[in-house]
Parts: sequence; C-alpha cells; structure tokens
Amino acid sequence: MSYVLGLRCRECGREYPTSVVFVCEYCFGSLEIAYDYTRIKKVLTRKAIESRPKDMWRYKELLPIDKAPTDGLNTGFTPFIRSHNLAKVLGVKELYIKDDSVNYPTLSFKDRVVAVALSKAKEFGFHTVACASTGNLANSVAANATIAGLRAFIFIPADLEAGKIIASSIYNPTVVKVEGNYDEVNRLCSEIASKYKWAFVNINIRPFYAEGSKTYAFEIAEQMGWRVPKHIVAPSAGGSLVTKIKKGLQEFTDLGLIDKFDSKLYVAQGKGCAPIVTAIKEDSDIIKPVKPKTIAKSLAIGNPADGYYAYDVVKKSGGWAEEATDSEIIDAIKLLAETEGIFTETAGGVTVAATIKLIKQKKIPKDESIVICITGNGLKTQEVIVNKLVKPLKIKPNLHSFEEEQKKRPTSDHYSI
Amino acid sequence: MAKRIVKLTFVGEAIKKPLTFRMAKKFDVMPNIRRARVTDKIGEIVLELDGKEKDLEKGIKYLIKSGVVVEPIGGDVIE
Repeated sequence: MSYVLGLRCRECGREYPTSVVFVCEYCFGSLEIAYDYTRIKKVLTRKAIESRPKDMWRYKELLPIDKAPTDGLNTGFTPFIRSHNLAKVLGVKELYIKDDSVNYPTLSFKDRVVAVALSKAKEFGFHTVACASTGNLANSVAANATIAGLRAFIFIPADLEAGKIIASSIYNPTVVKVEGNYDEVNRLCSEIASKYKWAFVNINIRPFYAEGSKTYAFEIAEQMGWRVPKHIVAPSAGGSLVTKIKKGLQEFTDLGLIDKFDSKLYVAQGKGCAPIVTAIKEDSDIIKPVKPKTIAKSLAIGNPADGYYAYDVVKKSGGWAEEATDSEIIDAIKLLAETEGIFTETAGGVTVAATIKLIKQKKIPKDESIVICITGNGLKTQEVIVNKLVKPLKIKPNLHSFEEEQKKRPTSDHYSI
Repeated sequence: MAKRIVKLTFVGEAIKKPLTFRMAKKFDVMPNIRRARVTDKIGEIVLELDGKEKDLEKGIKYLIKSGVVVEPIGGDVIE
C-alpha cells in the first residue's frame, strides 16, 4: 500500500502525479515526494517499527514505493555508537557516531538511496539502471543491480584510477569510460538520461532515490531512544543528505514518534570544494559553483543540486558549516580509527575534522549531545593515508631485536587535537 | 530548433552587464527565464534557451567567455 500523494515542486509548490519526472515543468525546480501523513499516522507507531526486521525498510510507510520493497532488504540499521574515547579527546560530554561505513552491501550510505531507487525503478518497469559515479554510488548501483537482476551502466571519467573501478567492475556491470572532462561527463549523462528509457538513479528518479537518505535520520532517532541529538554534523556533496535528515526528523515529529526536533544541523565539506559551506558562511542563498580540488573525492561536487536547500535547512536550524583541509582530513581519519576503531573514508575524515573545528569555535557546546555522520569506509580510499601511517616495526628473528625496536613505538595518548 | 535548460551564475562584474540579452541578440537565441535570484554579489538565473543547435553552442560559449558559470539545472550528476 502506498502512502505517496505525488510529487511536489520545492520551488513553486506545483504538484504532479507519481511518474518519472524530476523537475517542475514550470519553474524547473526540483521535485520531492509528498506523503499522506494522516494515513501514515494511523499505522506507523513506535511499536510497529520495533516489531519489524532491523533494516531500512522498517520505516517503509515513509518511503516512496507502492509495493513491498524488493531491494536493500539487508541495508540499513547500521551501528549507532556511543563514543567514549573520541569524546574524551574532544572534551565533549555526549558524542555518538552513526556508522554507515559498514552498511550493506557496499559499505556506504549510498546503499540506502540505491535500495529505494531500484525498488522504484522496478515498479516503473525499468530493466536498466545507470549512474555516473567515481566511487560509492557506482559500487552500490553495480552490486544492488546484480542482486536485483537489472542491467547496469556505470559512467566514469576515463582517467579514473584502476583501483576505484574494481569495486564496481567485480559485479560485472557495463562500465563506460567517458573520454572527457568532468563537465563533459556530467552533460553526457544528463543527455543519456533524457534520451534512453533507463532509470538513471540520481537524475530521472532522483526524487525517489533521495528519500532513502531519510532512513539514516530515522535510525538516529530510534537508536537514541526515540529522541534527537542537539547537534548533527553531516558531510555534504550534492547537499541532499542534510536536507533529508531534516525532512526525516520533521516527519517523525509530526507523526508523534519523537517529542520534539530541535537539532542544529551542520554541513562539512572539503576545503577546495566547499560551495555550500561558503554560502552558509557568507549568508548567500545563491550557491557559487566551484571546480573541485580536494582529496575528499566522494564529496567533490562543485555544482551541488541541493545546495540551496542544504543552506536553507542549516540556517533555519541555527547550525553552521565548516571545511577541512586535506591534512586535517587525514588526521581526522586517523583519529577516528585510533579512538573508536572505525576506518572511514575521506568524507568521514571531513566530518570529524569539521566537528573538531566547530567544537573549538564553540559553535557546538561541549556539554550537549552530538552525532557525527560517518557515511563511507576507509578501505575504499587507502591511497590518501598509505604514506601517513606509522611504519611497521622491522626486526630480526630474535627477542632482543623485538624488545629494542618496540621501545621506539609511540606510547598511548599519542592522539590529540 | 533545439532547447537547453541551464542555470547561469553571475559573479563580480558580470552581474551588472546585460549578458543574457546580448547573447540572445548576437546569436539569435531565445531565452525563457523561469526563476531568478540576485544579490549585490551574486546572481542566478534558471532558464530555457531555444535556438539552432550551433547557435546555442555559440551563445553558451559567449556567456562562459564573459565570466558566467553555465551549468545544467540538475547539478553535477557524478556522485
């Protein structure tokens, strides 16, 4: 049973019936899903949710599918960790980490949005799915498409490193290397999406795809004991995640699943590709596109589709934004690993580094609850830290050699901010 | 005839110049503005351009050369 009323323009409010449309034909604004909350309120209770399997579909009434979900049946409900070690280093009282670095099946937050996109694509009758991606999205579309029995096309810039293609190629999609620069790949994919009858997950079915992000917020609220933290720090690429965290928690509030939603929302981006951070700091509701230059490739979107909306929800929440340099990103990846045993990718490093700055600036008070959003796994971006780690001890095969060498290792408490 | 839907971002001096009008006149491209926002530092127009394919290409190149950022309205799709 569907609880979707249709699609609604985020700019002018015009409504459209559920179909494969993604921009308003009048104002070219982006569309999002509108739900019948009155009906949802009658069926979606804490008790109903808690009785369901621990995956992202336990909130299915708030996701835009008409039939039973078919994809991502093991996705979501990732660990929500009360941090003690990192909290101590940061000097904060109540710190949590929502850890999608171990999401299923491809170790990133993207498995959530792709699960919704593929379930919806099948409802629309698509047999082919596609995306343009240099990393997590490609991995997730490739893996989930093979599980679903769909044909998959993955478009990548021709100069992408071989190592990054393996985690998609292993699932045997059609990988298309486009011999052009970043802008040319973007333009080609938009043209293909408008010509071919394929589900291009983040283009023509983007309104449905993006709704999957809400499950990340739903889980935070449920795993915190049906309440919300005072501060949520999220990485930002296209700007969608933070807007969907806001939408998800607002929906939970309106449905009476949580008592109140007063979280301040913060955006983290890599210095060198921080158009949303810049807009927030300069208080400009117009996002100036940039040419990305950061090691945080998974956040390197210079022209963010949801940039304005991200700006808007952050400002209205009373939150802020911060950017992280490449060296701060690496230090933060190491800090998270050494304190909490979580090996995150560069986007996670950005988020931790930005959180540290926000605490130092007193934008985030040390005595209030904080959630850091970790969205990807460090095994995918090993190249950025490979030369930044303490080298292994090299010893002769005798006890004396071991004892001499191990004295040279740094002792505990070697991390600090 | 062909159509393009694009977002134009104007920064600095480009805000003050009638670049969209000049492009339309010079290359015989018909702009149809659907949405716009402007401040004293930055401006943004979402519009549809209508014209011959080669004229659209020339018109967009002219805007870029004049300092306007021309992007697809859906934002970057490589994620």
